[in-house]
Amino acid sequence: MIMITGGAFQGKTDYMKKRFSLTDDDIADGGRCEISELSKSRYIKHYELAVRRMIPENIDPLAFTEGLECEAIELNEIGCGIIPIDKNEREWREMTGRAGCIIAEKASEVVRVCCGIPTVIKGEKH
Amino acid sequence: MMTLITGGAKCGKSHLAERLLDDFTDNKYYIATMEPFGEEASAAIARHRRIRAGKGFETKEKYTSLHELELPGKSHILLECIANLCANEMFGGSEICDPTDSIMRGTEHLKSRAETLVIVTNNVGSDGIDYSKETNRYIEVMGRVNRLIADISDNVIECVYGFPVILKGKL
Repeated sequence: MIMITGGAFQGKTDYMKKRFSLTDDDIADGGRCEISELSKSRYIKHYELAVRRMIPENIDPLAFTEGLECEAIELNEIGCGIIPIDKNEREWREMTGRAGCIIAEKASEVVRVCCGIPTVIKGEKH
Repeated sequence: MMTLITGGAKCGKSHLAERLLDDFTDNKYYIATMEPFGEEASAAIARHRRIRAGKGFETKEKYTSLHELELPGKSHILLECIANLCANEMFGGSEICDPTDSIMRGTEHLKSRAETLVIVTNNVGSDGIDYSKETNRYIEVMGRVNRLIADISDNVIECVYGFPVILKGKL
Protein backbone atom coordinates (compact mmCIF):
# COMPACT_ATOMS: atom_id res chain seq x y z
CA MET A 1 0.00 0.00 0.00
CA ILE A 2 1.20 3.48 -0.89
CA MET A 3 0.10 6.35 1.32
CA ILE A 4 -0.09 9.86 -0.11
CA THR A 5 -0.48 12.77 2.28
CA GLY A 6 0.04 16.53 2.54
CA GLY A 7 -2.08 19.65 3.04
CA ALA A 8 -5.18 20.58 1.06
CA PHE A 9 -4.77 21.39 -2.64
CA GLN A 10 -1.09 20.43 -2.82
CA GLY A 11 -1.47 18.07 -5.80
CA LYS A 12 -1.92 14.71 -4.04
CA THR A 13 -4.63 13.40 -6.37
CA ASP A 14 -2.72 14.54 -9.45
CA TYR A 15 0.27 12.63 -8.14
CA MET A 16 -1.80 9.47 -7.61
CA LYS A 17 -3.38 9.72 -11.05
CA LYS A 18 -0.05 10.22 -12.74
CA ARG A 19 1.83 7.55 -10.86
CA PHE A 20 -0.80 4.83 -11.35
CA SER A 21 -2.16 6.07 -14.72
CA LEU A 22 -5.67 6.64 -13.35
CA THR A 23 -8.64 8.81 -14.20
CA ASP A 24 -10.99 10.31 -11.60
CA ASP A 25 -13.39 7.39 -12.13
CA ASP A 26 -10.76 4.92 -10.90
CA ILE A 27 -10.50 6.58 -7.49
CA ALA A 28 -13.05 6.17 -4.71
CA ASP A 29 -13.79 9.49 -3.03
CA GLY A 30 -14.00 9.15 0.75
CA GLY A 31 -16.18 12.24 0.86
CA ARG A 32 -18.90 10.70 -1.31
CA CYS A 33 -18.83 6.97 -1.88
CA GLU A 34 -20.47 4.31 0.28
CA ILE A 35 -18.16 3.51 3.19
CA SER A 36 -18.49 -0.22 2.42
CA GLU A 37 -17.21 0.47 -1.10
CA LEU A 38 -13.88 1.62 0.32
CA SER A 39 -12.95 -1.88 1.50
CA LYS A 40 -13.16 -3.03 -2.15
CA SER A 41 -11.49 -0.02 -3.74
CA ARG A 42 -7.94 -0.15 -5.07
CA TYR A 43 -7.48 3.61 -5.01
CA ILE A 44 -8.93 5.95 -2.39
CA LYS A 45 -8.80 9.70 -1.98
CA HIS A 46 -9.99 11.95 0.86
CA TYR A 47 -9.91 9.14 3.37
CA GLU A 48 -10.03 11.83 6.08
CA LEU A 49 -13.59 12.62 4.92
CA ALA A 50 -14.48 8.93 5.03
CA VAL A 51 -13.34 8.88 8.66
CA ARG A 52 -15.53 11.92 9.30
CA ARG A 53 -18.57 10.08 7.91
CA MET A 54 -17.85 6.85 9.82
CA ILE A 55 -18.14 8.47 13.24
CA PRO A 56 -21.90 9.30 13.19
CA GLU A 57 -22.59 5.93 11.53
CA ASN A 58 -20.93 4.20 14.49
CA ILE A 59 -18.30 2.55 12.33
CA ASP A 60 -15.00 2.30 14.20
CA PRO A 61 -12.56 4.17 11.92
CA LEU A 62 -9.53 2.46 13.41
CA ALA A 63 -10.85 -1.09 12.97
CA PHE A 64 -12.05 -0.18 9.48
CA THR A 65 -8.63 1.25 8.62
CA GLU A 66 -6.88 -1.89 9.89
CA GLY A 67 -8.93 -3.88 7.37
CA LEU A 68 -8.13 -1.75 4.34
CA GLU A 69 -6.34 -3.43 1.47
CA CYS A 70 -5.80 -0.99 -1.37
CA GLU A 71 -3.00 -0.03 -3.73
CA ALA A 72 -2.89 3.63 -2.82
CA ILE A 73 -4.69 5.82 -0.34
CA GLU A 74 -4.66 9.55 0.06
CA LEU A 75 -5.52 11.54 3.14
CA ASN A 76 -5.07 15.20 3.90
CA GLU A 77 -2.91 16.32 6.74
CA ILE A 78 -5.48 18.06 8.94
CA GLY A 79 -3.81 18.28 12.33
CA CYS A 80 -1.58 21.34 12.02
CA GLY A 81 -3.93 23.84 13.63
CA ILE A 82 -5.34 24.59 17.07
CA ILE A 83 -7.34 21.83 18.78
CA PRO A 84 -10.96 22.55 17.79
CA ILE A 85 -13.41 23.63 20.51
CA ASP A 86 -16.19 21.56 18.95
CA LYS A 87 -16.22 17.99 20.28
CA ASN A 88 -17.14 16.42 16.92
CA GLU A 89 -14.36 18.29 15.12
CA ARG A 90 -11.95 17.19 17.82
CA GLU A 91 -13.01 13.56 17.50
CA TRP A 92 -12.71 13.68 13.71
CA ARG A 93 -9.23 15.13 13.92
CA GLU A 94 -8.11 12.56 16.47
CA MET A 95 -9.55 9.61 14.53
CA THR A 96 -8.02 10.87 11.30
CA GLY A 97 -4.63 11.24 12.97
CA ARG A 98 -4.77 7.78 14.46
CA ALA A 99 -6.08 6.22 11.25
CA GLY A 100 -3.26 7.98 9.39
CA CYS A 101 -0.70 6.43 11.72
CA ILE A 102 -2.16 2.98 11.08
CA ILE A 103 -2.02 3.53 7.31
CA ALA A 104 1.54 4.89 7.46
CA GLU A 105 2.60 1.88 9.54
CA LYS A 106 1.05 -0.58 7.06
CA ALA A 107 2.21 1.30 3.95
CA SER A 108 5.35 0.19 2.14
CA GLU A 109 5.82 3.78 1.06
CA VAL A 110 4.59 7.15 2.32
CA VAL A 111 4.72 10.15 0.02
CA ARG A 112 4.13 13.70 1.25
CA VAL A 113 3.16 16.21 -1.44
CA CYS A 114 3.86 19.91 -0.96
CA CYS A 115 3.50 22.52 -3.73
CA GLY A 116 2.98 19.66 -6.18
CA ILE A 117 6.34 18.12 -5.26
CA PRO A 118 6.32 14.57 -3.86
CA THR A 119 8.81 13.67 -1.13
CA VAL A 120 9.14 10.02 -0.10
CA ILE A 121 9.19 10.04 3.70
CA LYS A 122 9.00 6.27 4.12
CA GLY A 123 10.31 3.58 1.80
CA GLU A 124 12.64 3.54 -1.17
CA LYS A 125 13.27 6.72 -3.12
CA HIS A 126 12.74 6.22 -6.81
CA MET B 1 17.93 31.17 -10.54
CA MET B 2 14.48 31.06 -9.04
CA THR B 3 13.71 29.77 -5.55
CA LEU B 4 10.34 29.32 -3.83
CA ILE B 5 10.32 29.22 -0.04
CA THR B 6 7.26 27.82 1.70
CA GLY B 7 6.36 26.81 5.24
CA GLY B 8 4.02 27.70 8.08
CA ALA B 9 3.57 31.11 9.67
CA LYS B 10 6.54 32.74 11.43
CA CYS B 11 8.90 29.85 10.71
CA GLY B 12 11.92 31.82 9.51
CA LYS B 13 11.05 31.94 5.80
CA SER B 14 11.95 35.64 5.39
CA HIS B 15 15.27 35.31 7.11
CA LEU B 16 16.18 32.34 4.96
CA ALA B 17 15.03 34.20 1.83
CA GLU B 18 17.13 37.24 2.67
CA ARG B 19 20.17 35.06 3.32
CA LEU B 20 19.90 33.66 -0.20
CA LEU B 21 20.54 37.20 -1.52
CA ASP B 22 23.33 38.07 0.95
CA ASP B 23 26.00 37.84 -1.74
CA PHE B 24 24.47 40.68 -3.77
CA THR B 25 24.66 44.39 -3.03
CA ASP B 26 23.49 46.11 -6.22
CA ASN B 27 20.28 45.86 -8.18
CA LYS B 28 18.62 44.28 -5.19
CA TYR B 29 14.89 44.74 -4.72
CA TYR B 30 12.44 43.79 -2.03
CA ILE B 31 8.88 43.60 -3.31
CA ALA B 32 6.56 44.06 -0.34
CA THR B 33 2.97 42.95 -0.86
CA MET B 34 1.62 43.51 2.65
CA GLU B 35 -0.68 46.50 2.93
CA PRO B 36 -0.14 48.37 6.20
CA PHE B 37 -3.67 47.86 7.51
CA GLY B 38 -3.79 48.38 11.27
CA GLU B 39 -1.29 48.14 14.07
CA GLU B 40 -0.28 44.50 13.68
CA ALA B 41 0.55 44.85 10.00
CA SER B 42 2.49 48.06 10.67
CA ALA B 43 4.44 46.35 13.45
CA ALA B 44 5.22 43.34 11.21
CA ILE B 45 6.35 45.65 8.41
CA ALA B 46 8.54 47.69 10.81
CA ARG B 47 10.09 44.48 12.14
CA HIS B 48 10.89 43.21 8.63
CA ARG B 49 12.31 46.62 7.67
CA ARG B 50 14.58 46.57 10.72
CA ILE B 51 15.85 43.09 9.86
CA ARG B 52 16.45 44.07 6.22
CA ALA B 53 18.19 47.37 7.01
CA GLY B 54 21.77 47.50 5.81
CA LYS B 55 21.37 44.55 3.44
CA GLY B 56 21.16 46.76 0.37
CA PHE B 57 17.55 46.18 -0.59
CA GLU B 58 15.54 48.85 -2.35
CA THR B 59 11.96 48.32 -1.17
CA LYS B 60 9.12 48.52 -3.64
CA GLU B 61 5.62 48.29 -2.23
CA LYS B 62 3.18 46.70 -4.63
CA TYR B 63 0.01 45.11 -3.36
CA THR B 64 -1.48 43.79 -6.61
CA SER B 65 -0.67 43.52 -10.35
CA LEU B 66 3.06 42.80 -10.04
CA HIS B 67 3.44 42.80 -13.82
CA GLU B 68 3.26 46.62 -13.67
CA LEU B 69 6.51 46.88 -11.69
CA GLU B 70 9.39 48.55 -13.45
CA LEU B 71 12.62 46.76 -12.71
CA PRO B 72 15.99 46.70 -14.48
CA GLY B 73 17.24 43.46 -16.01
CA LYS B 74 19.54 41.12 -14.07
CA SER B 75 17.97 42.17 -10.77
CA HIS B 76 18.12 40.25 -7.53
CA ILE B 77 14.57 40.17 -6.29
CA LEU B 78 12.90 39.02 -3.11
CA LEU B 79 9.10 38.87 -3.34
CA GLU B 80 7.30 38.67 -0.02
CA CYS B 81 4.80 37.20 0.03
CA ILE B 82 2.32 35.28 -2.13
CA ALA B 83 -0.18 34.85 0.73
CA ASN B 84 -0.67 38.61 1.02
CA LEU B 85 -0.59 39.16 -2.71
CA CYS B 86 -3.22 36.47 -3.21
CA ALA B 87 -5.51 37.95 -0.55
CA ASN B 88 -5.09 41.46 -1.98
CA GLU B 89 -5.84 40.33 -5.53
CA MET B 90 -8.72 38.10 -4.50
CA PHE B 91 -10.55 40.24 -1.96
CA GLY B 92 -9.35 43.76 -2.85
CA GLY B 93 -12.05 44.51 -5.45
CA SER B 94 -15.80 44.79 -5.12
CA GLU B 95 -16.18 41.10 -5.99
CA ILE B 96 -14.05 38.09 -5.15
CA CYS B 97 -12.02 37.11 -8.19
CA ASP B 98 -9.69 34.26 -9.17
CA PRO B 99 -6.22 35.83 -8.98
CA THR B 100 -4.29 32.88 -10.45
CA ASP B 101 -3.61 34.44 -13.87
CA SER B 102 -2.66 37.83 -12.44
CA ILE B 103 -0.28 36.30 -9.89
CA MET B 104 1.36 34.09 -12.51
CA ARG B 105 1.67 36.99 -14.93
CA GLY B 106 3.38 39.02 -12.19
CA THR B 107 5.64 36.11 -11.27
CA GLU B 108 6.68 35.54 -14.89
CA HIS B 109 7.40 39.27 -15.19
CA LEU B 110 9.67 39.24 -12.13
CA LYS B 111 11.37 36.10 -13.44
CA SER B 112 12.08 37.85 -16.75
CA ARG B 113 13.73 40.80 -14.94
CA ALA B 114 15.67 38.72 -12.42
CA GLU B 115 19.01 37.04 -12.34
CA THR B 116 18.05 35.81 -8.88
CA LEU B 117 14.43 35.58 -7.78
CA VAL B 118 13.38 34.41 -4.34
CA ILE B 119 9.67 34.13 -3.58
CA VAL B 120 8.21 33.61 -0.13
CA THR B 121 4.82 31.93 0.19
CA ASN B 122 2.88 30.19 2.93
CA ASN B 123 1.41 26.74 3.59
CA VAL B 124 -2.21 27.31 4.53
CA GLY B 125 -4.10 24.05 3.97
CA SER B 126 -3.02 21.72 6.78
CA ASP B 127 -5.27 22.51 9.72
CA GLY B 128 -8.39 20.60 8.67
CA ILE B 129 -10.70 23.45 9.59
CA ASP B 130 -13.77 24.02 7.46
CA TYR B 131 -13.75 27.80 7.06
CA SER B 132 -16.21 30.05 5.27
CA LYS B 133 -16.71 29.52 1.54
CA GLU B 134 -14.46 32.50 0.71
CA THR B 135 -11.64 31.30 2.94
CA ASN B 136 -11.84 27.75 1.59
CA ARG B 137 -11.61 29.25 -1.87
CA TYR B 138 -8.51 31.19 -0.81
CA ILE B 139 -6.89 27.99 0.50
CA GLU B 140 -7.64 26.31 -2.83
CA VAL B 141 -6.17 29.19 -4.85
CA MET B 142 -3.07 29.31 -2.63
CA GLY B 143 -2.54 25.60 -3.23
CA ARG B 144 -2.85 26.01 -6.97
CA VAL B 145 -0.66 29.11 -7.21
CA ASN B 146 2.03 27.51 -5.06
CA ARG B 147 2.07 24.47 -7.34
CA LEU B 148 2.33 26.63 -10.46
CA ILE B 149 5.17 28.71 -9.00
CA ALA B 150 6.95 25.58 -7.73
CA ASP B 151 6.73 24.16 -11.24
CA ILE B 152 8.65 27.08 -12.81
CA SER B 153 11.12 27.38 -9.90
CA ASP B 154 14.60 25.86 -9.95
CA ASN B 155 14.50 25.28 -6.21
CA VAL B 156 11.67 24.77 -3.74
CA ILE B 157 12.49 24.90 -0.04
CA GLU B 158 10.17 24.19 2.86
CA CYS B 159 11.28 26.07 5.95
CA VAL B 160 10.83 24.32 9.30
CA TYR B 161 11.68 26.70 12.17
CA GLY B 162 14.43 28.20 10.10
CA PHE B 163 15.71 24.83 8.93
CA PRO B 164 15.55 24.41 5.14
CA VAL B 165 14.08 21.17 3.80
CA ILE B 166 14.81 20.87 0.10
CA LEU B 167 11.80 19.70 -1.93
CA LYS B 168 13.28 20.46 -5.36
CA GLY B 169 16.69 21.60 -6.68
CA LYS B 170 19.27 22.77 -4.18
CA LEU B 171 19.97 25.50 -1.67
